[in-house]
Amino acid sequence: MPWLAMVLLCTLVLGCRDSSRPPTTAGLSSRETPINSAVEILGGGDTAGYELAIEPHEFVFPRDHGPHPGFKTEWWYFTGHLETDEGARFGYQLTFFRQALAPEAPDRPSSWATRQLYLAHFALTDVSGGSFHSFERFSRGAAGLAGADENHPFRVWLEDWSAEAMTTEAFPLRLRATSRGPEPIALDLTLESHKPVVLQGDRGLSRKGDQPGDASYYYSLTRLSARGTVTIHQRSVPVTGSSWLDREWSTSALGQEQVGWDWFSIQLDDQRELMLAQLRRADGSVDPVSHGTLVAADGSTRPLAYEDFVIEVTSTWRSPHGAFYPSRWRLQIPAAALILQVEPLLADQELDVSFRYWEGAVSVQGADLGNPLRGLGYVELVGYSE
Amino acid sequence: MSRLLRRASLRHLTSHPWLIGLSLLGVAVAVAVVVGIDLANASARRAFQLSVEGVAGRATHEIVGGPSGLRESVYVDLRTQHGVDGITPIVEATVAATNGTGRTFQLLGIDLFVDDQLRSFTPKFQGNTDPAAFLTLPGATYLGHELAQQLGIKAGDRLPIRAAGLARELEIVGLLAPPDELSRQALRDLLIVDIASAQEFLGLEGRLSRIDMSLPSGREQVEHEAKIRALLPADAELRTKSARAGALDQMTRAFRLNLSALSLLALVVGMFLIYNTMTFSVVQRRPLIGTLRALGVTRRQIFALIAGEALLIGMIGSAVGIAGGIALARGLLVLVAQTINDLYFAISVTSISIPMSGWLKGALLGIVGTVLSAMKPAKEATSAPPREVLARSDLERQARRAVTRTALTGGCLLLVSASLIALPSKNLLLSFAALFLFVLGFAALVPAATQAMIRWLKTPMRRVFGVLGTMAVRGVATTMSRTGVAISALVISVSVTIGVGVMVASFRSTLIDWLGVTLAADVYVAPADPGSHGGAKTLDPEVLQRIENDPRVAFVSTIRRVRVSSPRGPVLVAALSTERPGFSAYRFAQGEPDDAWDRFQLQAAAIISESFAYHNDLDVGSVVELSTDRGAHSFEVAGVYYDYGSDQGVVTLSRATYDRYWDDPSIFSIGLFTHQDVDRERLIEDLRAQLSGHENVRWISNRDLREASLEIFDRTFVITEVLRLLAVVVAFIGVLTALMALQLERAREFGVLRANGLTPRQVAGLVIVQCGLMGSVAGLLSLPLGSALAVMLIHIINRRSFGWTLQMELPPSILVQALVLALAAAVLAGLYPAFRLSRASPALALREE
Repeated sequence: MPWLAMVLLCTLVLGCRDSSRPPTTAGLSSRETPINSAVEILGGGDTAGYELAIEPHEFVFPRDHGPHPGFKTEWWYFTGHLETDEGARFGYQLTFFRQALAPEAPDRPSSWATRQLYLAHFALTDVSGGSFHSFERFSRGAAGLAGADENHPFRVWLEDWSAEAMTTEAFPLRLRATSRGPEPIALDLTLESHKPVVLQGDRGLSRKGDQPGDASYYYSLTRLSARGTVTIHQRSVPVTGSSWLDREWSTSALGQEQVGWDWFSIQLDDQRELMLAQLRRADGSVDPVSHGTLVAADGSTRPLAYEDFVIEVTSTWRSPHGAFYPSRWRLQIPAAALILQVEPLLADQELDVSFRYWEGAVSVQGADLGNPLRGLGYVELVGYSE
Repeated sequence: MSRLLRRASLRHLTSHPWLIGLSLLGVAVAVAVVVGIDLANASARRAFQLSVEGVAGRATHEIVGGPSGLRESVYVDLRTQHGVDGITPIVEATVAATNGTGRTFQLLGIDLFVDDQLRSFTPKFQGNTDPAAFLTLPGATYLGHELAQQLGIKAGDRLPIRAAGLARELEIVGLLAPPDELSRQALRDLLIVDIASAQEFLGLEGRLSRIDMSLPSGREQVEHEAKIRALLPADAELRTKSARAGALDQMTRAFRLNLSALSLLALVVGMFLIYNTMTFSVVQRRPLIGTLRALGVTRRQIFALIAGEALLIGMIGSAVGIAGGIALARGLLVLVAQTINDLYFAISVTSISIPMSGWLKGALLGIVGTVLSAMKPAKEATSAPPREVLARSDLERQARRAVTRTALTGGCLLLVSASLIALPSKNLLLSFAALFLFVLGFAALVPAATQAMIRWLKTPMRRVFGVLGTMAVRGVATTMSRTGVAISALVISVSVTIGVGVMVASFRSTLIDWLGVTLAADVYVAPADPGSHGGAKTLDPEVLQRIENDPRVAFVSTIRRVRVSSPRGPVLVAALSTERPGFSAYRFAQGEPDDAWDRFQLQAAAIISESFAYHNDLDVGSVVELSTDRGAHSFEVAGVYYDYGSDQGVVTLSRATYDRYWDDPSIFSIGLFTHQDVDRERLIEDLRAQLSGHENVRWISNRDLREASLEIFDRTFVITEVLRLLAVVVAFIGVLTALMALQLERAREFGVLRANGLTPRQVAGLVIVQCGLMGSVAGLLSLPLGSALAVMLIHIINRRSFGWTLQMELPPSILVQALVLALAAAVLAGLYPAFRLSRASPALALREE
């Protein structure tokens, strides 16, 4: 579960000006704007008038790939691993966030008038080159500058960054993003899906807190293949690889005591996938609403509850901006007899954007009932930046 | 020895406090006028530049569209299709606060998400702002801390404004802290709103005022420009920010130069005063100088003494003048800004900037002017052999000889001036040089003319005033060394007031005539927009439809005025739809009306205003190239018409032609031509009732529009009137100084007269009659010079500055006023000496002998 937008959500819903979360503004240089304060301003935390995720939802595709503007927050979260013919490896992240600023759509003559804010992050991990690049963009969801179309064909875009279905079906889906500047970094991929949609939580209703409505609608496409090009150092190279799409929309979610989260998406060689989301509380404990899903090779799913998995941090890394992040883990799922060692492909995959977080490509090694197992994944760490 | 000289100098100066005080005042006033105008001009210009630069931020270029703005899709395509970054969309216009202050502001509509790419004062997120409200609430506004303080408003308050003719309300949702000085300047007059609010308030949905962008400078720039241009549709144009600022600056150049020249006229008068004072102080001290020379003081020492005195007077006078000028500038600035607002573009100047150059120039003019004016008298004092200097009679004989020499010099100066005028040039500086040479040349002729007039006046004066009259005439004639310069100074000052007065009067009467012809329609309809430079002044098509459908309306003219870019810079284009009788409102300076009409209607030809033709060297048959929505196109000129509405000039096209080349169906104003015997008041009433939903429409009768036009004219000439008054003040002080000193110096002469039996009353009478005589002579002589100045101002300066042909009008009232001014100043100057001299004891006055 990609959690960044949950920060937005937390501040919006709870208006945590005081916040039990560790202060995220301290330590930022004055040049940078603390987004948590910006977000407080953005939302004001009022959920009145928005739709809430209370009952399990009847998912219909491709309609549900499109936007759900009645909810406050929504995202399209693409991550993946790519490789060139020569064996050079890359990790990428392309995320589109939608944030509603008001419950009612405005009835105004200007095409620039809107209540929808779009935010996008694009990151490329050059594993072979040992470098990490991240970019951020904001736009209004209006005037054609950014937005999402639910159908015919499905499309979400922010300026010239986009995820766009190439037919009336959701897949094949084309992802495109280019950074600006003299040496642009670009991604142009075509994704195909090889497994059915995975509904997370209870038939797609993912609880985050105790209150009814403190939940999101959440589904994933856990096994996508990718083919296309990566442009870096003024050179475009053909790549192939795998990807993962997380989709989530909600209005209110986190509890006040939650301070951050660790999220894992892992694709194993044996065609299984694993998602784990662990919510951390201010007192250092793990919130019991933490959960996960194990997807079998045939696409069948097995929900994992809080007590079904253990995440053990085996190493930490200090970011150049001062935060300490976990940097190696041992995951244990006793019921499935799985033990996995998770290690970043590059230590520094911290996105230096308005609100810093760590989102990076990882490699996985482990054993299933004693048989060696390998895999690739993405990990998101939020709430560590001080 | 030099200490002795200094003391002699000091003694002389302190024993004539009136003289020294008045000459200081003369220098001070002259310097104050020059400095005041200079500072007011510089401040208006600086405020404008800073606000342009501040608002531009890091933007180096802008993309602009046709008359109705730029299609917003151009921006969206650049970002989404072509991945161009570092561009920001802007929708802006001038709006007026309706909270009672009447202040105008620039309403700047931005896209908050990208604006910080170019402007440092519009951060996406900042402590004191509410971006969510800014984005979603119509009319949500950010403004600078300082401005909020000035307006006494805070976040959450509302600010009523008038935008595009409609009353609107802004809600303050954020106070911006400018990160640097330039931003602070920019924020002084900015109301920042979301681009959606700006479009809605200004009626510009679907349109942008421009796209700002930043391109790297240097050699790469051309390459980048080409790359961007290749992406733009035909109706969008990329240009540099400096080109725009430069064009705006250029617009006001002639206006500012004219003000400077007028202020320099005040300085010329001031220099004459100084010349007069220094001459006088030398003449007065001839005996002393003679004695000093006889005692062995060298010429150089005497020269240095006089020059030193002049330097001192120049420095003190300039210092006082600069202080006065700064104070004066504050007042003048309001007038300058008002005029620029009325004629050119919205500008709001709240503070005076005092550049070093401004007051240095004033100091230099004051000091150098004073010292230069003292050169001739100083040289004169040192050139004569010691014995001769002592004799007054020699001096006067010399002075009379000098009259002829001076007159010859004057003649030469007039010739030079005439040949400068004859040069086929449009150079304004050259024209002003000719003007000043003419004034100096005429001034040099004044003593000779005075002598001639005095001879002619001898008999009438004797008839009227008896022996006193004869004595007065003789007195003037025999004291030419002192009176000559004083009268010249008076002539110059008075003629400046005549010249400027006649110019303004001629301009006004020309304007009245022109309005009479041009305002041919019976009723005008226009958007009720008080800020006359908004981008969104258009009328609802329904208004036109209703008017055309009314049976009482014979036909209508419509006008759309837009600024269009061209290879010559931005050009004002008017799209005119009318019928043949409506076309008669255009009076042609060149071209034949019927032929022009045919070509205008049928052959897509343009008619251009006189100033446009003048500035661009165009005639009937030339072509004007304009950037249209279909790309560049050349329009042939079918006629040149008189127009005093814009000094930049206008290119008028027929509506059909305009529609063919531009996608802009809007109209700015409608002229209604009614059938005969239609009750126009009633017609307006009816139409107004029918169009009651259109509150932003203004109905103006022919007469009201004429009056409103004249009101603007009068307002813009307030500053000219002020300068004219200042010239009068300088003139007054000049005459006062010269004559008062002259009379006081004659104490001994009057002592003799008293001893010979003249009563105190007769002495007083003699002084006043003599002053009056000089005043009359000066007044009479200023009539030809003043008229000549008026001719030059009207036919050379004005034409070369603005390209307008004005019909000269010589109102007798101005001439009479000048005569009265000269006479009154002279007589007033005589009052105090008359009083003192008549009271002086003859014995005391004569004791020296």
